[in-house]
Amino acid sequence: MRRRRVGEGVLAVPAAFWLVAFFVAPVALVVWYSFGYKPGLFGTHANDVLSFGRYGEALNATFAATYAQTLQIAVIGTLAALVIAFPMAYWMAIKVPPRWRGLLIGLVLVPYWANFLVRTLGWQIILTPDNLLSRMLEGVGIIDGPLAMMYTRAAVQLGVVYNYLPLMILPLYVALDRLDPALLEAARDLGASAWRALWTVTLPIAAPGIGAGTLLVFVPLMGDYITPAVLGGARGSMVGQLVASQFQSAQNWALGSAMAVLLVLTILVTVGAALLSILAVRSVVRANRAVRLPETAGAAA
Amino acid sequence: MSAPVRRRSRVDAALAVWGVLGFLFLFLPVLVIIAYSFNTGRSMMVWQGFGLDAYRVALSNPAMTGPVRVSLIAGVGTALVASVLGTAAGLALARRGGRWAPAFTLLLALVMVTPEIVDAVSLLPWFVALGSDLGLRVFDVGQVRLIIAHSLFATAVVTFIVRARMAGVDASMEEAAADLYAPPMRRFWGVTFPVVRPAVISGSLLAFTLSLDNTVISSFVSVSGSSPWPVYVFSSVRAGLRPSIAAMSTLMLLLTLVALVAVALVLRRSGDGSSKIAETLTGG
Repeated sequence: MRRRRVGEGVLAVPAAFWLVAFFVAPVALVVWYSFGYKPGLFGTHANDVLSFGRYGEALNATFAATYAQTLQIAVIGTLAALVIAFPMAYWMAIKVPPRWRGLLIGLVLVPYWANFLVRTLGWQIILTPDNLLSRMLEGVGIIDGPLAMMYTRAAVQLGVVYNYLPLMILPLYVALDRLDPALLEAARDLGASAWRALWTVTLPIAAPGIGAGTLLVFVPLMGDYITPAVLGGARGSMVGQLVASQFQSAQNWALGSAMAVLLVLTILVTVGAALLSILAVRSVVRANRAVRLPETAGAAA
Repeated sequence: MSAPVRRRSRVDAALAVWGVLGFLFLFLPVLVIIAYSFNTGRSMMVWQGFGLDAYRVALSNPAMTGPVRVSLIAGVGTALVASVLGTAAGLALARRGGRWAPAFTLLLALVMVTPEIVDAVSLLPWFVALGSDLGLRVFDVGQVRLIIAHSLFATAVVTFIVRARMAGVDASMEEAAADLYAPPMRRFWGVTFPVVRPAVISGSLLAFTLSLDNTVISSFVSVSGSSPWPVYVFSSVRAGLRPSIAAMSTLMLLLTLVALVAVALVLRRSGDGSSKIAETLTGG
């Protein structure tokens, strides 16, 4: 029996080797670079003197503003995606007849599998001044002049919500698919209001989907580089572009590495803080519920 | 009694409207790209008139068909590498190998949550170090770089899909085959592989489409002369977009959709529900 177990573990060795050679090692190299510096005009990195200097540089006012803007765009974008996706997923999983659900899932996936960059170019066409949308809005009188949304932060915000929306819809759908509508009816029959049924029946069942969707949207959104590069211009830039420009145009790999490490740390800290606050809220809610139960029983009697 | 019923139907109507609007939102830019692929103007952004010129230009311009070929080769290579590595790793994980399993799962999770831009900037110096400093010339080849770079995320995805597939299957079948003295390879092809086949097929097709979609890592690691399609498009964003880019993108979308429908059919034949298919296709 023991030999068998060793034999099956061996199957993971090629993948582990591959990921160590081409993921762990390169990322470790970047972490190493981040403690170095840029030697002169033509060098990209040097590590003979180690310091936290590049981290200090990466946190100066200009870059820190971009970090703050990125975090803001990511948080707003994730919440907006959740607000848009939840009723959609609920409708698909509960209200739509079962035989149509597979088709609707397929329809969510079609734009998701259209090339990310090409989808973003679609928005560029839509938002271009004097194109159809611009003329329509002018005609209705919402704006008085060509649409001025291209190359603004608002365009990036719209673009990221759009680009990551399917990653919020699908896990929510998967979670809500497990919700038996009979449970909601039972809650209503027992006198629960619609909001109370949503709060005490639907949301707890949807919670894993909300968690997964939030993670699936927030993490790649923080590192997005394509959407701000296409829609953002100078006013809507994000950390991804900072990192890229240090490696490409500025040729300062040390500073770019420090920025990349800071980006990953920001993501980990934000996700960690969100998980902790969820645990805290849950324990408070549990404690409250434990107290309230006998009271409602008493009131009913 | 009638008041709550009416209110509930109003809520239902609101949900349906929201759902339909949501789908319109999802499809709007894709439909715009398809529409503008029939634009006869010089610039993609400015509509001139309807025609198929863009398709003719796209298919006859080697500057465009070249990158598409690079993308397709990289996609096939990524699918092969990811499905071999991922299937083996998924089988190993499904059998709960031992103390290494949590650490390995953590590694896969890290691969999946690391932003692409971080992979991109770390792979570029790594390939340079391996190719120039250590003299391993194979890492200077554009296709090799692309396939390695794309296969990381894809391997993690295939591993999780295969593990999910094997999770419900107990080991007794393989043990029976072993008890009947089937040699290991025979045991694998005769017993294990038929069970995981749908997962391997959908996983490798997913790996193919992931590779086709990748822009960020590709634009860092690709070597001039072997840029894949998205990198060509990305560089055209600054140089000026032509309708032929929309035309080629529409053709590529069609190709991706054919692959996607194939995955859905394979999964449906193997008896997965829509929820399970959604989980598989998002790599969850």
